[in-house]
Amino acid sequence: MKKMLLVALLLRVGPIGPQLAFPQNAREAPDWTGYYALATARDLAGTGFKQDFPNEELNSLIIAHLQPWAKARMEATDGIADDTGQVCLPDGIFRYPSMAGRFLWLQERGRIVMVFGLVNTAGVRRIYLDRPHPKNPLPTWNGHSIGRWEGDTFAVDTVGFNDKSWLFGGMEPHTEEAHLIERVRLVANGVFMEISITVEDRHALTSAYTYKRYYKKQPDTAEMPENVCNEDPETWKAFRNAALKKQLDRAKVVK
Amino acid sequence: MTGLVQFLSMMISIASPQTPAVPDLQGVYQSVPDGTTLPGGLKNAGSPAAIELLPEAARQAKSMDLRKDPWKVCQPVGPFRMMAKPQTKIELVPVSSMVVMLFEDLSHGMMRSVYLKRGHKAKAEPTWLGDSVGRWEGNTLVIDTIGFNDQTWLNDEGAQHTDALHLVERIRSLPGGQYLEYKVTAEDPKTLAKPYTYTRYYKKLDTEIMDDPCEDQQ
Repeated sequence: MKKMLLVALLLRVGPIGPQLAFPQNAREAPDWTGYYALATARDLAGTGFKQDFPNEELNSLIIAHLQPWAKARMEATDGIADDTGQVCLPDGIFRYPSMAGRFLWLQERGRIVMVFGLVNTAGVRRIYLDRPHPKNPLPTWNGHSIGRWEGDTFAVDTVGFNDKSWLFGGMEPHTEEAHLIERVRLVANGVFMEISITVEDRHALTSAYTYKRYYKKQPDTAEMPENVCNEDPETWKAFRNAALKKQLDRAKVVK
Repeated sequence: MTGLVQFLSMMISIASPQTPAVPDLQGVYQSVPDGTTLPGGLKNAGSPAAIELLPEAARQAKSMDLRKDPWKVCQPVGPFRMMAKPQTKIELVPVSSMVVMLFEDLSHGMMRSVYLKRGHKAKAEPTWLGDSVGRWEGNTLVIDTIGFNDQTWLNDEGAQHTDALHLVERIRSLPGGQYLEYKVTAEDPKTLAKPYTYTRYYKKLDTEIMDDPCEDQQ
C-alpha cells in the first residue's frame, strides 16, 4: 500500500505545478502592472545583465536539444507554408516574446494577464493564482498557466499546449507534452523584468533547455499601440493561397 | 498607547482626501440572447441594423460587396458592431490607469485600452478601435471614443462610417453584480442621420475565457 502511495505521489509531482499552494491574490503581491518591451543591448549596457542566448543563438540551443524525429520534422517544415503567423493566426507564445516582445502585464484579483503587442499571433495569457491546472486541459496555443509568488519571484507553470506552434523561428516542433516553467522578477531597481524560461518536452526534447530574457519597463505615459495583423486582406489572401499551394504540392509528392 | 495610535490614525484618515470607491468590474461576461428579460424588466434594445443613414451613406451601403465584410476576413469589426454580436464574450481587466477590454473572439474584437487618467490625444493616427478615454459617473463607467479609421462597418448590411465616428459607451454593474448593462451611442454627422443608441446586457461568467482564433472563416 505504501509503495502504491509513493508511486502515486511520484506520478503526481511535477516540476512546479502540483506543488503550488492556493489561493493567492495578485493584488496583495508587488504590483508590476505596466508596459514592457524587450530590452536592447543598449538598454542593458552597464547593468551586468544581458540577453541569455540572444535570438541569433537561440535556434542553435533548441536544435541541440531536439530528439531525432523532431529534428527531421523541423527539416521537413516549410518556413512560409507552415507558419500560421504568416496568415495572422496564432503561432504560440514561445516565439514572439523572445524575438521582439512587448506586452502589458496586468495584475488583478486571482490572475495576471499578459497581453502581447502582436495580439493576433501571440494573443493573451492568463496566469491564474487561485487554482491548479485542470486535470485534462484542452490543448491551446498558449496553454494553461498558473503562478505563485515565491518571495520577490513570480513562478509560472504552463501546460496544455497544442502541438501546432514552434519553439522558435527555426520551425522547431514540440508536442502536447511541452511544459513551460518561467521565473519572473524585477531587477535593476525595477527597470527590467527578468524572465528565466525553461522548456521541457519529454517527447520532443532530449532534455530541458533554459534561457533568460530582459524586458524594459516603459514610462507610465507609454501606451502599447494597436496592432492589426490582417490590415490588408488581399496580401493576407495571397500569403494564404501561396501557403496552401505549397502544402498541396508537398502532399502530392508524398503521395 | 494603542488608543492614541488609533486616534491619530482616525484623524489622519479623516484629514486625507478620499477617493470614492468605484465598482469593481473585473470579470468575464457574455451578452444575453435577445428576448431575455432580466429582473426589473430589463432587456436588450435596439440593434446596429436599425441605424438611420444619410441618403448618400444609404446608397453607399447598398453598393458594398458583402463578401468584403471585415467580419468575413477576420478583421476587427469595431466596438459598435462587436458589442451587439450574439454571444460576444468579454473580459474586463481594471488596473489603476485604465480598463482593458479583451474579447474571446480576439480577431474581431481585439483588445481595447480605456485610459482613465488622460483626455483624448490632440494628434493621433486613426485606428481600427479608436482612442478611448473613460471616467466614472457614480457607478457608471463612461467611455468616450474617437479617432477611428474608416475601415470598419457599422452593421452587417454594409453601413460605412467616417473618421468622424464618435462613440459614447456607458457600462454599469447591476445590483448583485451578476449582470452588466451596456449602452452605446454612435454619432457620425457625415453618415448617420441622427445619433443611435442600443442596449445590451452581459451576464457574468465564472468560466475561463479561451482562445478563439478566427480560423473558420478563411
